[in-house]
Amino acid sequence: MAAQVELFLQTLIAGFLLGGLYALIGLGMALIMGVMRIINLAHGDLMMVAMYLAYWLFTLLGVDPYISVFVVVPLLFLFGCALQKFLITPVMKVESILPHNQVILTVGMAMVLSNLATVFFTGNYRSTPVNYASNAWYLTDYWKNAPIELSLSMPWSLSFLCAFIITVALWFFLTKTDTGKSIRATAQDVDAATLMGVNTNRMRMLTFGIGSALVACAGCLFIPIYYLYPALGKQFTNIGFVITVLGGMGSTEGAIIGGMILGIFESMTATYVGMGWAPLGRFAIFVAALVFVPGGVASLIRRKRLGR
Amino acid sequence: MRHFTFVATVISIFILAICTTQVLAQEARFAIPLPLTGTNAKFGEIEKKSYEIAMEEINAAGGIKGRKIALEFEDSQGKPEISRSIAEKLIDVKKQPVIFGEYSSSSSKAIAAVAEERKVPYLVVTGATDDITQQNYKYVFRMNPTNAYYAVGLLSLFKEVVKPKSIAILYESSDFGTSGAEDMAKQSEKFGMKVLVKEQYEKGAVDFRPILSKVKAARPDVIYMVSYVMDAALLMRQIKELRIDANLYAGGAAGFAIPEFIQNAKEASELVMTATLWSPQIKYPGAVEYAEKYKKRHGDYPSYHGAEAYSALFVMKDVLTRAKAWAPDDIRVAMKATSMMTAFGPIKFEDKEGYTNQNFMDTLVMQVIKGKHETIWPQKYASAKYVYPIPKWRERN
Repeated sequence: MAAQVELFLQTLIAGFLLGGLYALIGLGMALIMGVMRIINLAHGDLMMVAMYLAYWLFTLLGVDPYISVFVVVPLLFLFGCALQKFLITPVMKVESILPHNQVILTVGMAMVLSNLATVFFTGNYRSTPVNYASNAWYLTDYWKNAPIELSLSMPWSLSFLCAFIITVALWFFLTKTDTGKSIRATAQDVDAATLMGVNTNRMRMLTFGIGSALVACAGCLFIPIYYLYPALGKQFTNIGFVITVLGGMGSTEGAIIGGMILGIFESMTATYVGMGWAPLGRFAIFVAALVFVPGGVASLIRRKRLGR
Repeated sequence: MRHFTFVATVISIFILAICTTQVLAQEARFAIPLPLTGTNAKFGEIEKKSYEIAMEEINAAGGIKGRKIALEFEDSQGKPEISRSIAEKLIDVKKQPVIFGEYSSSSSKAIAAVAEERKVPYLVVTGATDDITQQNYKYVFRMNPTNAYYAVGLLSLFKEVVKPKSIAILYESSDFGTSGAEDMAKQSEKFGMKVLVKEQYEKGAVDFRPILSKVKAARPDVIYMVSYVMDAALLMRQIKELRIDANLYAGGAAGFAIPEFIQNAKEASELVMTATLWSPQIKYPGAVEYAEKYKKRHGDYPSYHGAEAYSALFVMKDVLTRAKAWAPDDIRVAMKATSMMTAFGPIKFEDKEGYTNQNFMDTLVMQVIKGKHETIWPQKYASAKYVYPIPKWRERN
């Protein structure tokens, strides 16, 4: 009995921590989706770029990945802004038979980034072997006679905490600052926002920058607990995509809840069904969300708020 | 004037071509198919460098029957269909009397089929899938022990030292992982070990805690894992973190047997054992010299793939020296009679247990002791005494 309880609680902890990091990946994608109405399929590859920056900072200069957030995030913010300004905005103006050629552009960007990484850094797997990678806190260290043993990974908890702080900071930025409000206005109605004097092009650029910065953050938080190779982006783009759909196409609150749901769902599947099934479960949840809750978590929140 | 330059160029090309063909007549030219680009490129590169070292050594000692070896490398990109067409080209166009090389099982399999059909001997160097030498091919020879034999050394260690009653098997859902895990499960039952958990995972998984918690609840004596590079380190790190105390942690070669494993898992890698085919400190003649030379030149120790490639060229030298003429059938006869010692170990092609022309050899067990891979089993090859029983995580610091 105790063993079963321990198994369940340990799985829940794992799911919660993983969910927090997933949420951070999904958040940037959802923000971009909300404002620009496009799915950024280069999202995971931007994360890969950030991870390489963090990796080189660690390897060449010995900068701890958690500290490198302060260098990598501003760089990726600028990089994101530049991508929007010089690549995506010009494409938006082009008339074409395909309605969403910006989405196709992001796919192209993803390919270019991952191939460039292969050319420059080879296909080798890399990681930042930090000393605290397998440190953890144990329940029995604090409560001598505990009937069960639970552990809480130090780097994972640290990453979760950072993800939480960043999410709160983003929420403040979006709801309390002028720029944040302008971004939300652009997301709600571009024409109305333009009429109200919002520079929507600038807002789009900022949004893409912030989205990139968020995923760069996720990258820096991921690298001490994971590893790195040029083709890594695709996997995380998929995760971000599922979260964005699950959360409700561009809703930031939805993305946070969606990320948590996905993290816990994956961990539970791994424990009680089999770890080989986790990726399948991810897409089952994706399809189920599209069919049964097309508006995602956000639509549920909205419905509750409106009392319907 | 322009006309003159053109004519001059053409003539000089002709002269150059004639010269080279004359030089070529004294050289033994072989083309080796290898994945030099694509996902397996890393291994292709290790093998290429090793072939080159072997070539230099053989040429410095006078070549084969007085002829210097000249190697060329054909990039198969790790795709079986390209390997197949390379083999066809070598046999039909270049009339090469023997083929050797390739890295992956699937590419080796593709070449084996062509070689058998055209009756040209083929030496499989690193492909491990069981069925390459199970098809009664007369012209296909293999140096590499088959996948089913990878864990033989580990099992004999179990039998004599660990005596486990139960096992948990975790493996990557690839060809290599699945076949390794299936073989282990079969062997475990024969051995009287209960398989408590047998779980696969998708490559690139981030969090193994859920299945590891399940393993912890099942309390197995041995945890056996078949994983590639990075997963191996992640698994051990998370095992340490969850304080799963098994009597033994064992890996099935690949990701556990390379130096990167120790660099990435750090103290979580300590005392972990792994099956392997070869190690840079192994006491085979020439093994240490080769490993040191490789390290000096390329900065890192080679994996067993490199040792196999290096030794393969010496096997070819031995075979070609003994062959009556350099024709496919004479080479096949000489190949069949091979019995020699190489840096990779003893090479002898036998027909037994359903295999044809298969090399059978001892597989080894390594253990990470004080942050270094040491060969611990079989004891006649050991570079250090094994550490067993291993302390619980809580008691380590």
